[in-house]
Amino acid sequence: MRILVAVDQHPYSAHIVKDVAKLAGNTWADVTLLGVGPKVTDISRSSGHTEIKHPLSKALQNYRRNFLDHFEKVESPYEKRVCNHEFVEVKKGMWEELYVCRGARKDLKILLRSGNPVKEILAQSQENDSDLIAMGCYKAGDCQWEGAANLPQKVANNATCSVLVVKKEKKKISKIACCLDQENISQKSVEMINQMVTLYQTELEIVGLTDGTKLKPMVEKNLNAILKYYNARQIKAWIKLVDAASLASFISQEARRSMMALWMGEQSLLNKMFPRGKVDKLIRGSESSVLLLR
Amino acid sequence: MLRTLVYLDADLASSIALRYACQLTRVIDMKLHTVHVEELDQDGHAPGTGWVRRTWESAMLKTGEFEIAQLINAEKSSCPMLGSPKMLVGDRENEILREIQRESYDLFVEGSLHSFTAKKLYDKIHSRLYRHIPCPVIVVKNLVNLEKIALIVRDEAESKKLISMFLKIFGGGKLNFDLIYCKFQEPGQLSSKGKADANGTLNAIEKILMEQNWHPEDCRTIKGTPEEIGDVLRDYGLVASSLHHSISKKSNWFQLLSHIPSPILIFWQ
Repeated sequence: MRILVAVDQHPYSAHIVKDVAKLAGNTWADVTLLGVGPKVTDISRSSGHTEIKHPLSKALQNYRRNFLDHFEKVESPYEKRVCNHEFVEVKKGMWEELYVCRGARKDLKILLRSGNPVKEILAQSQENDSDLIAMGCYKAGDCQWEGAANLPQKVANNATCSVLVVKKEKKKISKIACCLDQENISQKSVEMINQMVTLYQTELEIVGLTDGTKLKPMVEKNLNAILKYYNARQIKAWIKLVDAASLASFISQEARRSMMALWMGEQSLLNKMFPRGKVDKLIRGSESSVLLLR
Repeated sequence: MLRTLVYLDADLASSIALRYACQLTRVIDMKLHTVHVEELDQDGHAPGTGWVRRTWESAMLKTGEFEIAQLINAEKSSCPMLGSPKMLVGDRENEILREIQRESYDLFVEGSLHSFTAKKLYDKIHSRLYRHIPCPVIVVKNLVNLEKIALIVRDEAESKKLISMFLKIFGGGKLNFDLIYCKFQEPGQLSSKGKADANGTLNAIEKILMEQNWHPEDCRTIKGTPEEIGDVLRDYGLVASSLHHSISKKSNWFQLLSHIPSPILIFWQ
């Protein structure tokens, strides 16, 4: 799993770094912490050491420390590598001296890019082939970033991978409500939900969208398989049916108290309801965090 | 031994109901019987008469039998006592009703997934089957662990009948249960208090239960909207309540039953 965490120097970003550290602790994901700001101009080089002065550099270094603090040094998959020349038996009876690096099994990258923040975040997610972009935002108002209007919404609208937008909750998330109305559910997205449930220690509600009377047979089959999958992992999963006609009122009601997770597939009604470019409505309107599964 | 009829279709709701019913057999002395009704065409008529009709019915039954057998086989490892289902052809509600009356079942179990809108449950409660059914019904909305039951009481007079029916089912079992009195009020003031708030109702009912040597683990009054109370009751593996057939869709009581995501046990008043 590859997670890209878009951060700035404000408290909502510190919060998401903590959440991602917990998530990475469970998944051993490759993690990139990305800050986007003005071009780096103040560079000082002395005796082989380069130092930059940038509004985000301190924050990024702090986030790295906070992220790593989540792990016990010895156990950490992100612990620094130590490289040495070592003899390794490459064939029976034949030894070769190789340059062997031991230590970090997973990548933690700290990146600083300059330019348009939305474009840079999306570009980095493409370069990393990220599975998930994670961002925090202010809970008050409509999920904004300081000095970057509608950034989380714009990233969520245009990302090709899954997006998690976390609003710092005053109270614990009580439930994750996942809306499902399509046949193609990837194992990755099911796993992602599993990880979110573990991360927030919460219950799961799988929402099946009906045409007013019943579920599509394939959706029903998927619901059954997903239910069995979560039950086998001791995750309490509830099922709730919602008519397509009541979906908007369900989401506005449920988004007040649950983290909303939506499978945004090509054939999905959710994709029609929140097409690319209109997901911002959901993120702005929701009082809780939102996970878009793609 | 309690005789329980579980209705099965080849769908998720039935699969959940069957798994839940199997859980029940572990805590209550009961024997499960399963039934499936292969419905006639949409107009309710079979094509033709005599040989044509019999051949058509037998072909329909075979298809249905295969699907239901798959459902039962999937659960057999965890519920080995499951036998072959009874296969019937005809109108679903009429056939189930006839079967229950013919075999005098003590309990009827069927799956109906929890729904955001109340219409589905309302239609079910006002269906011909439920209006005439002679035994209590468990509507399995979700698959949950049957660790504890909530027995919801309304008033003392009505609850006496409820308790006698409740004990008929659970009297020989080993289940923990709470006695709960619900008081509906404006949103945002959800609270859960002891017995004192229920105008003596809980005390009186607890006394009746204790005379029968049944001790609720907890007796409490929950105040809130139907939705808020429904959310609290999700912690129970079964919520038992009495119900009038004449209940209106807008009544708080019905709204509460509709919001509870756990299986509900309905005793008809």
